[in-house]
Amino acid sequence: MTDVQANHDWEGRYYHIDQILDAPGPRTDEGFMAGDGVKDFLRKQSKILVIGAGGLGCEILANLALTGFKDIHVIDMDTIDISNLNRQFLFRPKDVGKSKAIVAAEFIMNRVPGVKVTPYFGKIQDKDDEYYLQFNLVICGLDSVEARRWINATLVNLVDSENPESLKPLIDGGTEGFKGQARVILPTITSCYECSLDMLNKPTAFPICTIANTPRLPEHCIEWASVLEWPRVHGDKKMDTDNPDDITWLYTVAAGRAKEFKIEGVTWSLTQGVVKNIIPAIASTNAIIAASCCNEAFKIATSSAAYLNNYFMLIGIEGIYSYTFEHEKKSNCPVCGGDSVSLSISREMTLEELIDLLTERQDIQIKNPSLSTPTKQLYLRAPPQLEEATRPNMFKKVSELVPDGGEVTVTAGTLPFSLSIDLSFT
Amino acid sequence: MNDSQPIETATTSIQMPSGAPDAKTRRYDRQLRLWAASGQAALESARILVIPATATTTSILKNLVLPGLGHFTLMDDKVVNGADAGNNFFLDGFKSIGKFRAQEAVNGLMEMNDGVEGVADVRNIQEVLETDKGWLKTFDVVVAHNVDSVILDDLAALLWPDTYLVVVNSAGFLADFSIHYREHQVIESHAETSPSLRIDQAFPALLQYAMSLPLDTMDITDHAHIPYPVILVRALEEWRREREQGASIRLLLSGPSSGRGVPRTTAERKAFKERIRAMMRKFDEENFEEAEAQAFKCWTPTVIPSEVRELFNLHLSSTSSSTTFSSLVSALSQFSQNNPASPQYTSGLLPLTPSLPDMKSSTEEYVKLQKLFRAQSDKEKQVFKEYLSRAQVDVNDATIDQFLKNSHALKVLKGREWKEINPGAKELLAGKLSTHTKETATHLALAAIRKLRAKSVIPSLEHVSSPNDTAMTDILDKDKLKDLLTAEAKSFLPPGVELPEAEWPVASGEVARAPSADLPTTAAFLGGLVAQEVIKMITKQYIPISAGNAASAANDQLGICVVDLVETWTGIL
Repeated sequence: MTDVQANHDWEGRYYHIDQILDAPGPRTDEGFMAGDGVKDFLRKQSKILVIGAGGLGCEILANLALTGFKDIHVIDMDTIDISNLNRQFLFRPKDVGKSKAIVAAEFIMNRVPGVKVTPYFGKIQDKDDEYYLQFNLVICGLDSVEARRWINATLVNLVDSENPESLKPLIDGGTEGFKGQARVILPTITSCYECSLDMLNKPTAFPICTIANTPRLPEHCIEWASVLEWPRVHGDKKMDTDNPDDITWLYTVAAGRAKEFKIEGVTWSLTQGVVKNIIPAIASTNAIIAASCCNEAFKIATSSAAYLNNYFMLIGIEGIYSYTFEHEKKSNCPVCGGDSVSLSISREMTLEELIDLLTERQDIQIKNPSLSTPTKQLYLRAPPQLEEATRPNMFKKVSELVPDGGEVTVTAGTLPFSLSIDLSFT
Repeated sequence: MNDSQPIETATTSIQMPSGAPDAKTRRYDRQLRLWAASGQAALESARILVIPATATTTSILKNLVLPGLGHFTLMDDKVVNGADAGNNFFLDGFKSIGKFRAQEAVNGLMEMNDGVEGVADVRNIQEVLETDKGWLKTFDVVVAHNVDSVILDDLAALLWPDTYLVVVNSAGFLADFSIHYREHQVIESHAETSPSLRIDQAFPALLQYAMSLPLDTMDITDHAHIPYPVILVRALEEWRREREQGASIRLLLSGPSSGRGVPRTTAERKAFKERIRAMMRKFDEENFEEAEAQAFKCWTPTVIPSEVRELFNLHLSSTSSSTTFSSLVSALSQFSQNNPASPQYTSGLLPLTPSLPDMKSSTEEYVKLQKLFRAQSDKEKQVFKEYLSRAQVDVNDATIDQFLKNSHALKVLKGREWKEINPGAKELLAGKLSTHTKETATHLALAAIRKLRAKSVIPSLEHVSSPNDTAMTDILDKDKLKDLLTAEAKSFLPPGVELPEAEWPVASGEVARAPSADLPTTAAFLGGLVAQEVIKMITKQYIPISAGNAASAANDQLGICVVDLVETWTGIL
C-alpha cells in the first residue's frame, strides 16, 4: 500500500471542495481562515452526529463523507424494510432486517476511504448529555416529531453560557412526498423546533362516533377494524403493522364493513397506509433536503460562506416553489423561551377536558401529560399509587383546583422539559 | 407438508387471496402513493441519456435509478482522475482512478436497482453528434451537465422538439437548470383544488331531493344527518323562491325558482347564514353548523377555471400523444357549451365528478348523496363521450375517467427552445434583471462561465487532471476571471443595460471563487431537483417548471430554475 492510499487523501481528492476552502467568497465572514487551518479542522478535528439513517440519513451520511467530515456518528433504532429500498440507497435487498445505522456506516466506510462512521443501533434517549457534548454539530433526518422535540430540548438544555462549546448547532430536515424543509437551529439563539410546533400539519383524526356509527369513507372502515375490532377479537394481542398477516386481517374486516355500508375504496394498500400512517417518500425530495442540511453543516463547520438563517421550505408539486425565511423565536416557548403560556379557560372545564385541550393544541401537542401546581399534584401518570390518588381530580373543575391566575406545570415522560401555564378563568 | 411441491403450486399457495402486494409493489410502495401504477409504468419505460459522468449527473441518475427508471445511458469518454474519485459517491474511491468514468459510475449506480438497465458509453459526445445523430434521438430525455455551449447548441438543435433536453449548470454554491420542450400536457396535475359541487347550479336530481325532505317533521336524528350540500341547495332554492315570488308566499305553494341569483351583499350573506341557522331544530346540529361554514359555496359561482377555458382556444400542436389529448379537450369544450344532461344550466360547466369530500352525515345519507352525484356524473360522461366519438379517436374508458376527474385542473405548459434563450432573449433577460435581480445575476454568471468553458479560457471539468495543473493558475486569478465573466454576461444583454451593482459582484464573485467546483452538496441538491422534474415530465403527473401556460398570452418566462446555496434559495426565471 502506498502512502497516498494509506492516508486516503490522494492527489486531487479535494479539488472541488478546496476551491471553496482556499479562498473566501463575496459572502464569506471575515473570520474565515482559508487554507490549511479550515481543512485541518474539517478533516481532522470536527465530529458530527447524524440522527436517523433512513431516507434523509443515508443521503446525509454520503454527503458528509464526500464533503470531508471524517468522524461521523449515526444513531438509528430501526431495521431495514423492503419499502425503504426505493430511496435509502445504502441498503440492498440482502440487508432487509438488519440495523440501518450499522449497514449504513459500513457502506460509507467502504465507499469513502478514510471516513470513520460510528453507528449506534438504538434510541437517542439512551444517550446522556456527556455523549451529545462531544459533537460539534448535530444533523437530524427523522420522521418522528417526538424524537425531534427530545433532541431539540436536550440540545437547548445543554447550553451553558459560560462555555461556548456547549452550543451545538442543530440542523433539521424533514420531507413528505414532494414537500420538505431544512432549518438551522442555534439552541437558545434562534427559534428552536418547539417554537415552530404550530407549523406542523394537524394529523387526521377521525371521531370515534363516526368510526363506530356513521362511516362514510373507506378510512373510517379501516379505523373501525383497527381501533375497535382488533382489540375486541384479539384481546391483549398487540397489532403488528409490519406483519402482512395483520394488515390482511384488518383489510378483510374493513372490507366487510365497507360492503355492509356500501362504501367503496377499501384496498390492502389503503389499509396499510391508514394503520401505519404512511407518508409518501421519494428519493428526490430526500436528496434535496439532505443536501441542504449537509451544505449548512459544511458552511457552519468551515465558516466558508454565510449559512441559512434559518428556515428553507420546499414544495415541488407545482413547479419548484421554495421559501427561505427567518422563523422567529417564541418568547413563551416551553423549551427556549422564558415566558409562560397564558391560557384562559371556562370555570366549568374539568381537569380531564383541560388535558384533552393540551393534547390537541397545535402549539403544545403534549401526549399523556402529568399536571401539578407549585403546591399540589393535580394528576400524575406514575407511579400507580399517585395515579390512583390523583385520578378523582380528573372529573373536578379546574377552577376548584387552581386559583385564578395560578400556575400549572405540565410534564410528559416523552419530553425532557416542562411547560408552564398561567391559567385564568372566564 | 410435502417439500417437493412443484414451484407453481408453491407460489400460488403463498399468494393468498388477501390483496397483499408483491415484492415489487412493496419496494415501490412509498412512491406509488404519489404517482400510482400509471406513473410507475411510464417511468419504467423511459429511456434517458446523461452526459457526462459528473458528481451532479450521477446524483441525478441515482434519484431515477432508485424509483425504477427503464433505461439510462451514461456517456463520457474520460477516465477517472483524483478529483472525480473524491467527489463522486458512485465511483469506487481511488480504486476507480484511471478507469473509464462512465463505466465505473454505471457500476456504482446499477448496484442500487437491478430492475434498471444502465449502459456506459465511452464515446465522445462531439463525435457522436457527427456520426450517430439518429441514435441520440431515440431517447426520451437527454440531460447535460456543464457541457460547453458549442456542443449544447448542436445537441439542442438536433433534439428539438421530440426529445426533452435538460441543461444543468453549476459552479460552487450556484446552479441553474432548464428543460427544453415545446409543450407538455398534464392531466393528473394533483392540484390541491377540488372540483365544484355545483351548489349554485344544482343538478335536477339533487335539487329535487333537497326540496323533497320534510325538514320540520322528519325524524330528528335524520335531520341532524342531512349532508351540508343538501342543506345548502335547499336553503338557496328557498332563498331564490322568496326573492322571486315574494317572502309572503307559502313555500309549498310556489313553483321552482329561476335557478339564478345568489346572496351578494354582506347583509344578504349574513342573513343567508342566519337562515341556515334557523333551519336547525336542535342547537347542536353539527351538519347545519357545517352548512353555515360552507355557505360561501352558494355564492362562489361554479365556473370553468380560466386556465381550462384558455385551453379551448389553444391550437394544440399535433404530436402523436396530443391527438388523444386535443380530442379530449375539444370534447370538453363542446360539453361546456352544451350539456343536455343539466337542462337548467346547459353551458359553462365541466362534467360533474362523482367524488365527494367527507362531511357530517350518516352513512345512509352520505351514500345516497354519493349515488345522486354518481348518476348525474354518469349521464354527463355519456354526453362527453358522445362529443368525443365525433373526433373518431379511440380513447379507453380509464383515460376518459382520469381526464374527467381532473378536467378542472388540466395543465398545458410551454417550454422554450434552447436557442431561443441562449443566446437570444436579450430583452427578456434585461426585463428579468429588474424584476428578479439576484436570480438573473446568478443565471448570467453561470451562462458566462459556460461560454468561457467553450472558449477554453478555463478548463472544463473533464480536462482537470490535478490541482497543480497549469490551467488552475488562471482560475486562481479571481479578478481576471471576474472581468471575463462580466464581459461575457454583458454580451447576453442588450447594449447599454448595466449589470446590477449589488447582485452582480456577488454572483460573479461566487462563480470566480469556484469556477469548476462540482461540490458534493450542490450536486446532491441538483440531483434531487432535476430528477424530480424529469420524473414529472416522464410520468406526466404533477407540474414541472415551464415558461408558463401554453394558452396564456404572457410570454415573459424563461423557464429556468436558479439555485443559490449560500443563502439557500431557489427561484424561477
